Amino acid sequence: MSTNDKGFSRRKFLGGSAVALTAGTLGMPFVRTARAQAATFKAGVITSLSGDNILGGNLTKRGYDLWADAINAKGGVEVGGDRFKVDMSYGDDQSNPATGADAAERLIVQNEVDVLFGPYTSGSTIAVQPICQKYQVPMISGSAESPNVWKAKPEFNFGIIPSVDTTSGMSLAVLAKLSNPAAKTIAVIGVNEPFSKETGEGFRDGVKAAGLEMVAYELVPPEGDLTPVISKIAALNPDVIAVGGHEEPLINVVKTCKSLNYRPKALIMHYGVTNPAFAQALGADADGTTGVAVWLPTVPYKDDLFGTAKEFAEMAQKKSGQEPDYTEAGCAASGLVLGDALKRLGKKPALKPEDRVALKDAIAETDIHTFYGPIKFEKEGPHYHDNTQPVPVLIQIQGGKTIAVGPKEAAAAPFIYPLPAWK
Amino acid sequence: MPSRPCGLAAVKISAFPFSSRRTVAALDLFLQTLLNGLLIGGVIATFTIAFQLTFGVLHVIDFAVGGWVVLGGYLGYFMAAGLGVDGFLAIPVAFVLFGILGYLIGPILYNVRNSRTARPELMALALTFGLFTLLRGGMLTFWGFNTHSVPTALSGESFTVGPVTVPLIRVAAAVFAIAIAGGLFLFLYRTRYGLAIRATAENRHNAALMGVNIRRLSANVYGLYAGITAMAGVLMGSIYSVNPEVGLRYTLFAFFVAVLAGLGSVGGALVAALMLGVIEAFVSTYVGSSYSLLAIFTTLFLVLLISPKGILRRGL
Repeated sequence: MSTNDKGFSRRKFLGGSAVALTAGTLGMPFVRTARAQAATFKAGVITSLSGDNILGGNLTKRGYDLWADAINAKGGVEVGGDRFKVDMSYGDDQSNPATGADAAERLIVQNEVDVLFGPYTSGSTIAVQPICQKYQVPMISGSAESPNVWKAKPEFNFGIIPSVDTTSGMSLAVLAKLSNPAAKTIAVIGVNEPFSKETGEGFRDGVKAAGLEMVAYELVPPEGDLTPVISKIAALNPDVIAVGGHEEPLINVVKTCKSLNYRPKALIMHYGVTNPAFAQALGADADGTTGVAVWLPTVPYKDDLFGTAKEFAEMAQKKSGQEPDYTEAGCAASGLVLGDALKRLGKKPALKPEDRVALKDAIAETDIHTFYGPIKFEKEGPHYHDNTQPVPVLIQIQGGKTIAVGPKEAAAAPFIYPLPAWK
Repeated sequence: MPSRPCGLAAVKISAFPFSSRRTVAALDLFLQTLLNGLLIGGVIATFTIAFQLTFGVLHVIDFAVGGWVVLGGYLGYFMAAGLGVDGFLAIPVAFVLFGILGYLIGPILYNVRNSRTARPELMALALTFGLFTLLRGGMLTFWGFNTHSVPTALSGESFTVGPVTVPLIRVAAAVFAIAIAGGLFLFLYRTRYGLAIRATAENRHNAALMGVNIRRLSANVYGLYAGITAMAGVLMGSIYSVNPEVGLRYTLFAFFVAVLAGLGSVGGALVAALMLGVIEAFVSTYVGSSYSLLAIFTTLFLVLLISPKGILRRGL
């Protein structure tokens, strides 16, 4: 037995540690019980707080938190004349769908959440859906855009953002109409991962309706070097390049094009362009890039909690230092759907399992107008439980800012086409 | 007007009276693809050459190689954003700063690798995995999740040689890789300390008996490796982008190169990186990008079957 000059004993230290650990473990249920006694609605957020999709995951968390903070500042969700605060718990899918499913199950079983706020990625959303079905807990997804999410006809999942197959093809038609001289050819690149691949397919499927001829369709691995693909496409010299991907590959597409001194007449991407980090990472090279958005701070919508879209954007920017994009806005709008459904349900916390099923039915009947726009979920068809109400807007980065350029009735500035040579 | 794309020949058609326009275009694409492949290989080589050194001397497969790359990228970004300087100025700073950090971590790695626990090589791998996780988590916590870029004078610049467009930043990366390989060769084969390193790599016990301080040498080698890898990270941040999550792919490619080159073979790493780059470029261009990883893994599999010591048969 080792001792120091003051008589410290290793045996005493180990014994004391064991007692402290045991006391802490036995005391945990009392902490949990004390917490559970507050009358709150419990919401669980599943999103990518680490891994490749950490940037988008944190955008969704910011959106959900914006709603929770705003509603709790007012005293909570109103039910039957009383107000009940919302208690948020978080699960990290680590950018992995299987991990997301495990995290969702933990939130439902251990944290006993009444509702889930869905993941950033469509892959994780699809993985969590069966968990919601198993435990009969509704989920509101502020971010998922892949059409595959809704093809499965999830009974317990509801999506705020229209799926990408409805928006990407429409955006090509708008671009083709705005282009002068008229764009004739297009190459489509899709990053081979959920959502990105579907976005590429959405662009591909919209080519004919837009009156364009597709000269190439490439699926690239997320971690691959883009130089060979861009060189190959440059040799075909299409008027337009359309890219489906998340932020990092979109940034790499622009950098690779510039490094090869190649610039198409138009470069259209889907999600990621509206994220301020895209323009910040590329600087002046981001200018001219076109994107698709279903919400902008300039849209003429409003609600009682957030005010106008502009007011929401200012509030969000004040909190995070960045202007919110449509994903962050969609996640905040998810909370508005939950608040409205709880109010109509009329049940006070703590919700029982049958109340959560009734909550699901109440969410399905949502028909509200928010700062995000109208929200109403499809009740049948390939976009079952998806909100297909918002109209996509073509945006373009001009002078570092995201500007609406089409359709004409929504445009705040002219569409720059063709793009000038790299400076 | 869009800038002139690479791919169409600048050579006059009349110089090749029997060639069609399509043949010339195909040749242009072939040459561009070959150049792309060699430059991709050069980029991969920047962060894999020094990685081989750690295995050769410390007998440790360092899982944290991707972490050092990303740290170098972040240094480049912060220096450019904070001081308004060209990102290249971060390269020597990265070498010194992360060289010192690596020198301080080296003895810990040495102790674990030479401990009397069961399977010390696996314990050392676990330690480096823990180090990678710590670096990644630390970057996320302190620097956030946004993607950044390292601006340099060469970013986006290029020149044309006949029908091919040559990106300057990638040429810089290839030159860096060759310079590092050459420098390491001279250091290892023309200096007494290099002799000590080679002796340690060959037989540490005999090297110790000959008076080599193995512990201090291991620390120096790890510091050298961390410094070189962080320098490569500055270049990666300029060519691609940097955020805490991209480190894993660099670690994976370092492993790919190590398998192809043979563990511990510095010269083999350069050849293997070039080989992987050319495979990726040609498969992406002529078969499809979605098959490039399949081609890489197939190559690794075949090399392991035919020549487990690597393509130059110099692995340990």
